[in-house]
Amino acid sequence: MRVGRGPFGVALGAVAVTVAIAAASLALGGYDPADAAGAMARGSVGSLQVFFSVTLVRAVPLILTGLAVAIAFRAGVWNIGAEGQLYAGAIAAVWVGLNVGGWPAALAVPAVLGAAAIGGALWALLPALMRVRLGVGEVITTILMNFVGLHLASYVVRGPLQEARGVFPQTDGVAEAARLGVMVPGTRLHWGFAVTMVVAVGLSFTLRKTRAGFRIRAVGASPTAARVAGRIDSKRVWTGAFLSSGAIAGLAGGVEITGVTYALYEGLSPGWGYTAIAVALLAGLSPLGVLATGALFGALEGGASAMQREAGVPSTWVGFVQALVILSVIALDRVRRAGAGLKASIGDVPMGEVGTGGDRV
Amino acid sequence: MTAPRVRLSGIVRRFGTVTALDGASLELRAGEVHGVLGENGAGKTTLLNILGGMLTPDAGTVEIDGEPVVMSTPRDAWRHGVGMVHQHFKLVAQLSVLENLSLGMRSAGGGLRLPFERVRRGVADLEDRTGLRLALDARVSALSVGERQRVEIVKALLREPGVLVLDEPTAVLTPDEVDALFHLLAGLAAEGRAVALVAHKLDEVMAVSDRYTVLRSGRTVLTGVRGEVDGSELVAAMVGKAPKREDSSEVAGHGGGDSTDIVARLKAVSVRTDRGWAVRDASLEVRRGEIVGIAGVEGNGQRELALVLAGRLDPDEGRAVLPGGIGFVPQDRTTEGLIADFDMTENVGLALHDRWPTAASADRGAGRWLMPWAEARARAEDVRRRFEVMAPSVRTRAGALSGGNQQRLVVGREFAMATDLLVAENPTRGLDIAATRFVRARLQAPPTPAPGIVLISSDLDEVLALADRIFVMVRGRLVPVPERSRTREAVGALMLSGGA
Repeated sequence: MRVGRGPFGVALGAVAVTVAIAAASLALGGYDPADAAGAMARGSVGSLQVFFSVTLVRAVPLILTGLAVAIAFRAGVWNIGAEGQLYAGAIAAVWVGLNVGGWPAALAVPAVLGAAAIGGALWALLPALMRVRLGVGEVITTILMNFVGLHLASYVVRGPLQEARGVFPQTDGVAEAARLGVMVPGTRLHWGFAVTMVVAVGLSFTLRKTRAGFRIRAVGASPTAARVAGRIDSKRVWTGAFLSSGAIAGLAGGVEITGVTYALYEGLSPGWGYTAIAVALLAGLSPLGVLATGALFGALEGGASAMQREAGVPSTWVGFVQALVILSVIALDRVRRAGAGLKASIGDVPMGEVGTGGDRV
Repeated sequence: MTAPRVRLSGIVRRFGTVTALDGASLELRAGEVHGVLGENGAGKTTLLNILGGMLTPDAGTVEIDGEPVVMSTPRDAWRHGVGMVHQHFKLVAQLSVLENLSLGMRSAGGGLRLPFERVRRGVADLEDRTGLRLALDARVSALSVGERQRVEIVKALLREPGVLVLDEPTAVLTPDEVDALFHLLAGLAAEGRAVALVAHKLDEVMAVSDRYTVLRSGRTVLTGVRGEVDGSELVAAMVGKAPKREDSSEVAGHGGGDSTDIVARLKAVSVRTDRGWAVRDASLEVRRGEIVGIAGVEGNGQRELALVLAGRLDPDEGRAVLPGGIGFVPQDRTTEGLIADFDMTENVGLALHDRWPTAASADRGAGRWLMPWAEARARAEDVRRRFEVMAPSVRTRAGALSGGNQQRLVVGREFAMATDLLVAENPTRGLDIAATRFVRARLQAPPTPAPGIVLISSDLDEVLALADRIFVMVRGRLVPVPERSRTREAVGALMLSGGA
């Protein structure tokens, strides 16, 4: 699975197809598509207040996990484990956040977010080692580690880190010093959004301008050429990308704790780590593209709540819409690549480039 | 006169804005071997792919036995009795040779099981007739390029096609195997089949073909019968200008090798693979300014030896003492030398990502963490200009270049890296006459200070023409060829026997 550049045209096409199918299905279900669409728009981009407080706040964990998936996929590491890594980061963040009481915020926040990143990276370490040392495919190991992470969080909030009252399966709130302040006054948008922007821009810069980023792209594009022509040790690059991916996913958990919930509880993530795969693919694995697609999915989630409230459409419907988006992305990306492949070929066209025949035999 | 077996006429085929075929024609008669000639990019492969059902023409007609047909898939082509051997392999690497050969073959009694027994019998029969040997139970992924090609040829022959199309079948075969293949092709033609053949080596095509078709820029510019057209006329038709016969005698060893400055040394090197010892006890010294030629049949350990010399593989035994400035032209440029999705600059970056910027470059500030993109761009421009890579700019994707231009890009990049040692594996394989001449000239006139060059080639003539010293690789052993045995016959015999 490889996704090329130029994500925005694909994204627009995907949106158009998705809107058409979604409207038809709503009408079939007996809802007024115009009504639902209005509620959706009002609930996601209806006002600056809503855009900042709902859409962007929901987008933050989606963007961070989307970046985690994108950096892994660019290296050819199929990390499906952002969900588990996010929980590992959240657990680490809460643990540190509960113990930084007397610290100044300038130390407490980096300590908590740093712990979250380390937690996420550690969660990725086992699948990474299993891949490069034993040759075990990371798709399965990362999925399995998701369940371990999810249930570890359940255990932690009922056992060692349960709130002092001992009533609900959740932790106490982290120290005031470890909480992120509001970034845009009058909204709920917290400084975690700035962290997200920095990570996205940093990753984009890394991939384009640095030696390490170049190696990631080379190994992801062709491990064979990277080794023979580039003398690149693929295993090292894979391990590095894998751990970075885990760290960023862990950071997503830490940012959610310090910016929104202040506490860890069961079901902290509604599946961000999985939606992240769609976010990253829709962005063509481009870090800056993930900013846009993460915001799109944040708007979808925010809009879904409003649709349920105002138009009576079940919020599970948004899952259906997200699935539609993913399917249209895959289809449209395929079409776009086929077109580009034909145009790009000059002279003697090797069959592998054109992509005809071989698939058909 | 009866209709020809195959007649393609007025064939036009475009890829985007590029017109690969512009009214080309081709006529194959039953009972003939037909050579298709042309430079890289002339449209040979595209034309044959249309005959093989891999591509559909934008205009023009395809007739088989006088009947117009539409062949839009390889299956259609098979149905019309056209079998194809591809330049780019179409094998499933994870499956065994036997499984690959059985794919798509029908079992005698129908049913879903693959016809392994029938294929085994067919292969045994072919081995008797042709001498092409196959390890049926080996995995394709473990085979060398040459061995894979043999599988492709056998795969096509198993179906006993009425029209057999071979795109560059000889590039990776030994002289004996080429002779055997040509003998077979002549025999297949004598049984009433039409055989079409693309090969870059003019003398090979001339030796076996009854008739020729020459393509240039997507058009058929010459058709001729053996004996009526001579080599220089064919070359003239191919390149479109006054012919200059390529004569291997004009490029004899370039008289290097006097220097005692040793740039690379192998001491009793052995390499083990999962198929046993690929290289056994190989010792070699390479001096600055000389060309060491290593000839051999594919799969005798040259691959592993090349990787060791290029610093890409650590020997399991023995020691390799290598210099810092190594250039490596790997044999499979599309998968090993280049990344198709990267542009020319990025592909040059493959050689620079772990190098400090040179003092002269604009990238002094790139330092340890940043890619030296300015230097990569400058070098890519340099390669594009000096190695005459036909690309609109250095931002052109490598995958959009023709095979010959990809090779120029790889050779140009690695020449620049090879300040001490250049390891070149089959550097002219698949190149047309002009490009081959160009690469050979570059090998013979390297920049100063001249690196030591190790030329590993399955093209015996190339080794004989270029190398100052010659070794033969046989079953993992590196055997020196004495000066008095520097003949095609003697070295050819060594390649097979090891002189034992």
